[in-house]
Amino acid sequence: MHPGRRALIQLLLWSFYVLLSLGMIANYQALSGTLVAVMVAVGAALWAASEALRAWALRGGWLDLPPRALLLRLALAPPLMAVVAQLLVYSFNRLGLALGLLHFAANAPYGLGVLLGYTANTAILLWLWLLAWAGGQWLQRWRQGEIAKWQAEAAARALELQVLRAQINPHFLFNALNNLRALINEDPARAREMLSRLSNTLRHTLQHSAKERVPLAEELVVVRDYVALEQLHHEDRLQVRWDIDPATEGASLPPMILQLLVENAIKHGIARTVGGGVLEIVLRRQGARLQIEVSNPGVWVEGGAQSSTGLGLPHLRERLKRAGGEGADCRIAAADGRVRVTVELTA
Amino acid sequence: MRIYIVEDSRLARQELRTLLAAIPDADIVGEAAELAQAREGIEALLPELLLLDVELPGATGFELLDQLHHLPLVIFTTAYDQHALAAFERNALDYLLKPIDPQRLEAALLRARERLQAQRHGATAAPGATGTGPGCKGADDMVFLRDGERCWFVRLGDVAGFEACGNYVQAWFEGQHPLLQRTLSALEERLDPQLFFRASRSHLINLRWVQSIQPWHNEGYRVTLRDGHEVEVSRRQAKQLRERLEL
Repeated sequence: MHPGRRALIQLLLWSFYVLLSLGMIANYQALSGTLVAVMVAVGAALWAASEALRAWALRGGWLDLPPRALLLRLALAPPLMAVVAQLLVYSFNRLGLALGLLHFAANAPYGLGVLLGYTANTAILLWLWLLAWAGGQWLQRWRQGEIAKWQAEAAARALELQVLRAQINPHFLFNALNNLRALINEDPARAREMLSRLSNTLRHTLQHSAKERVPLAEELVVVRDYVALEQLHHEDRLQVRWDIDPATEGASLPPMILQLLVENAIKHGIARTVGGGVLEIVLRRQGARLQIEVSNPGVWVEGGAQSSTGLGLPHLRERLKRAGGEGADCRIAAADGRVRVTVELTA
Repeated sequence: MRIYIVEDSRLARQELRTLLAAIPDADIVGEAAELAQAREGIEALLPELLLLDVELPGATGFELLDQLHHLPLVIFTTAYDQHALAAFERNALDYLLKPIDPQRLEAALLRARERLQAQRHGATAAPGATGTGPGCKGADDMVFLRDGERCWFVRLGDVAGFEACGNYVQAWFEGQHPLLQRTLSALEERLDPQLFFRASRSHLINLRWVQSIQPWHNEGYRVTLRDGHEVEVSRRQAKQLRERLEL
């Protein structure tokens, strides 16, 4: 709460208390200047005591304490403060009397018992005040907690969606659909074939294999469908040279590794090169080692281009570390206007 | 309507041709797949409307617009690029999402047709207002301004002036101050001298935006523009300004 607003509320609260008390006193005795002055002093002392309680509670972090410690403090602090407040009022009275400014009626009650009664009264007021304050604090905390929870949930959902979107690549999808629309008129038979390939690609992406490894032959089917659709878009600008070592037959690899390399090569290489070029996919096997090499025209930009989602390469490295086997490795080399990404893993 | 298509995919161009065939006054004057080819084609054929793919090989549609002398009306086409389109501070143009919905295309062309008619009307109502020579831009011509990722399509008559800032030029319009990657001299050559006056080494002001002229020290002037900018005119330029305004 704003300090100015708190001060206003405190002023209103304790003024109200002082006025109410004076009103009640006026019922059975005439109000004197002394009575009013003493009641104002009591109001001021209560204000000071409640502020002190608040500062004490905040500094001690009471609201974060375990229930027993908290209850102990909530129970004992107000009476303690009430004693201090009554001492202040008592000193005020003594000072007033000594200076001859206050004149108590002869029949005014006094003595230790009366002082204790006043102190108990003050303690009850301060208890109520402290409980109300703590209740307000808890309510505020609970609200803030709710908001933070909603925000965290929204952020998590946004991230999930972003990951999903990055997998599907809407750019690819809508371009493919647009090209299909034209192809339906131009070459219906080929359009039908391409539609099947698009279905396969989408199904594969959505099912997003949770398996650690898939057969290379299976991955190749996915990649060939994808490349065919990209060729529909880029036509002569995308030439593909496959070089597959027969020894790789029967090899396996973590799913979507080759697909990711080919996607990146087209997205960052072919699509950004005027006139396009050759996409080269080389698969080799030496003993238990499978080597995948994908190269494309273009230049390698360290840290990636602006439009990149930045999910590609770190994601690939992570997957290799987890499921690539001993010594799995990903290297990037750029020379003569071509970028070559080489992945080595256990077949 | 003379239309030019810029799309990197042949099938996407074919698709646009098919869709446009249903629109009687759509006259496709040319097409291109890449930036350089598009630039040459547009400057040679001077189309009225450009259907422009945001993503081109090795470039973006915005870069093409940056390089054009003749700027037609533009409708962007994109597969999925809300980011690039969000770059527009003022969406003075249209965009179509691929695959393109024939009704959306028709609506976009309708708007373009209205804009073109308004432009033609403006040109005949105020002869000479649209420039004095080829490639020279007048008050009713639209210009494409780009500052980094932000873009604007602005009517030249709405630009109060330009100020040189190092190797850049700052444009003043509608409370915006984008920095353009041009020099003031290069800009001056492209603008109608009847409209834009070189007030000083670093200022080019729109004469229609002049609010008041006060005598200033050294026999110069201080010109106040309607948008609040104040520009000092040197003695030499003051003479020219006098001649220009006395006409």
